[in-house]
Amino acid sequence: MTSLTKTFTKAFEKDESHVHIEIKAKPYSNPYLVGIGLGLVLLAAFVIMGRGLGASGAVSTAVAVTVNTIAPSHASGNQFYTEYLGDGKTSPFKDWLVFEVLGVIAGGFLSGSLAHRVKKGVDKGPRVSNRTRLIYAFVGGGLMGFGAKLARGCTSGQALSGGAILNLGSWAFMMMVFAGGYAAAYFLRRQWL
Amino acid sequence: MNAPFYKFNLFGFDVSLIIAFAIGIGFGFMLERGGFGSARILAAQFYLGNMRVLKVMFTAIVTAMLGIFYLSVIGYLDLSLIYVSNTYILPQVLGGLILGVGFVIGGYCPGTSMVAFSTGKIDGLVYVLGVAFGIFVFGEMFPMLEGFFNSTDLGKQTLPSFLGLSYGLVVFLVVVMAIGAFIAAEWSEKKFADRNPEKSI
Amino acid sequence: MKKFFSELSTNKKLAIFGFMLGLFALTAGNPYGGTSIKVNEKELALSTVGNSDKVLVTDLADWIIKAKADYELVDLRSEEKYSEYTIPNSQCIPIAQLPQSELFRNQKIVLFSDDNIDAAKAWFILKSKGYKGVYILDGGLDVWKEKVLFPKTPINGSEKEIAQFEKMKEVATYFGGQAQTDSSSTEIKQQISLPTTNLNSTQVTVPKGKKKKREGC
Repeated sequence: MTSLTKTFTKAFEKDESHVHIEIKAKPYSNPYLVGIGLGLVLLAAFVIMGRGLGASGAVSTAVAVTVNTIAPSHASGNQFYTEYLGDGKTSPFKDWLVFEVLGVIAGGFLSGSLAHRVKKGVDKGPRVSNRTRLIYAFVGGGLMGFGAKLARGCTSGQALSGGAILNLGSWAFMMMVFAGGYAAAYFLRRQWL
Repeated sequence: MNAPFYKFNLFGFDVSLIIAFAIGIGFGFMLERGGFGSARILAAQFYLGNMRVLKVMFTAIVTAMLGIFYLSVIGYLDLSLIYVSNTYILPQVLGGLILGVGFVIGGYCPGTSMVAFSTGKIDGLVYVLGVAFGIFVFGEMFPMLEGFFNSTDLGKQTLPSFLGLSYGLVVFLVVVMAIGAFIAAEWSEKKFADRNPEKSI
Repeated sequence: MKKFFSELSTNKKLAIFGFMLGLFALTAGNPYGGTSIKVNEKELALSTVGNSDKVLVTDLADWIIKAKADYELVDLRSEEKYSEYTIPNSQCIPIAQLPQSELFRNQKIVLFSDDNIDAAKAWFILKSKGYKGVYILDGGLDVWKEKVLFPKTPINGSEKEIAQFEKMKEVATYFGGQAQTDSSSTEIKQQISLPTTNLNSTQVTVPKGKKKKREGC
């Protein structure tokens, strides 16, 4: 058990100890240790709040507020938007998921800076142009947004959080995400390989 | 028994927002550590070259699941107060398929695209805008989709209640399945090592 | 054995550790066990003595007028009856849905139904689930109507009683009811329509975190 904790601390120490010497991006941490860390964050969310993590809900709030600003009567007639707008007394942005996602952005930046991985650029396969990659990113994001709302959650809200509390729908959803991904992968191999 | 703390009113709504931010930091930090800020690594999951998505996700699920199970067994956590969303099986199956396809095309999921954006990836930002657009389209189509969206409601179903097995047995089966998946993942990473983008980043 | 274990890689150690936890889960018991009913019968019995578990309708009327907000008022009747008439600021949780409700355990909860019977059952359900401050509105809606909405002039009442009645008249008007000056007017009482519920409920502040927002992703 002591050796276990030792390797645990070592995995995270590694990143700080070499800061002065190398500016090169550090390799990513052991996925299993990261998984345990992520699992503990998720567990903390359940123990403290009684709910899991999420991501797409915050974007939904932003969309609902935008629609409401441009066309208030249109938004108030649509149950999907009103659900994210709340009762109108408190700001829709005073929402758990919105603050959580702001934290995600801060946490990602923190981790990236510590490991010298913050770098402006486009992440893409070797055989596609930046333009193609960005179009694909937008289309993929669009499908993801649509699918996440249909399934009542995305990979964080459904698969991860629902998976941990053994929610039936979440597990069915998770299996279908992998199925859809592997089914589509062949047709998109040019983009990534 | 005094967890979940929020449901026992140990702190108010405003404090919960600060906690949300803190938990978000942990979430984002771990996602970035795991390599989830890179679309190439995420997408490589579907070409069997890099199995970080599966490894991190399943380890996290197993860790949280075991934690929730044991904390509930010792009576510290009131499992009945943890929010379980209803299962709407058809919309969730179809939504999952669309999401999976979107994952391969776009290279991220909503959470990871936030991390990618925060570490300077322009495609991450474009992806977030795409997600917003997708949600907007869904919102506009909602009156049309509402019937399907609310169909096949199975109520609050968990795997133990659905399969008629004890909670402990399902926990055990999930752990065994996860370890099996990890062994397969290690094997697959060796076999398709030439498709692993992590080496060249 | 120790040597064998220490020579394993981190990942394998973790796998073994996880497997052990999973294996142990088979016999660890039921995680919902913590939520099963445990009753301290002595404490329950004692709390009924001296009516310390009851709230008088006049006290409740007073709290509502003074806009006290440190309690949750729960209407245990069906939703149809709830929409017909209810006490201002109450929320509708039919008794069948009570075990799944999202009431907090350390809140002060005041339960009411038409009479005391359903409220007493609900009181027991919540008490056995570890809720601390659960109270019954003594007499339920029937007494609420009789004493708060349509109070009657005391026949041959003492001065004190009459003074109290004058006060109750104001309270009745506040809640949209009407004091009955004619003591034999039970028929009239039937004709008087119950006040509409949303009379005061527009002022009700929605309790924190109870917005119609989803909790999920």
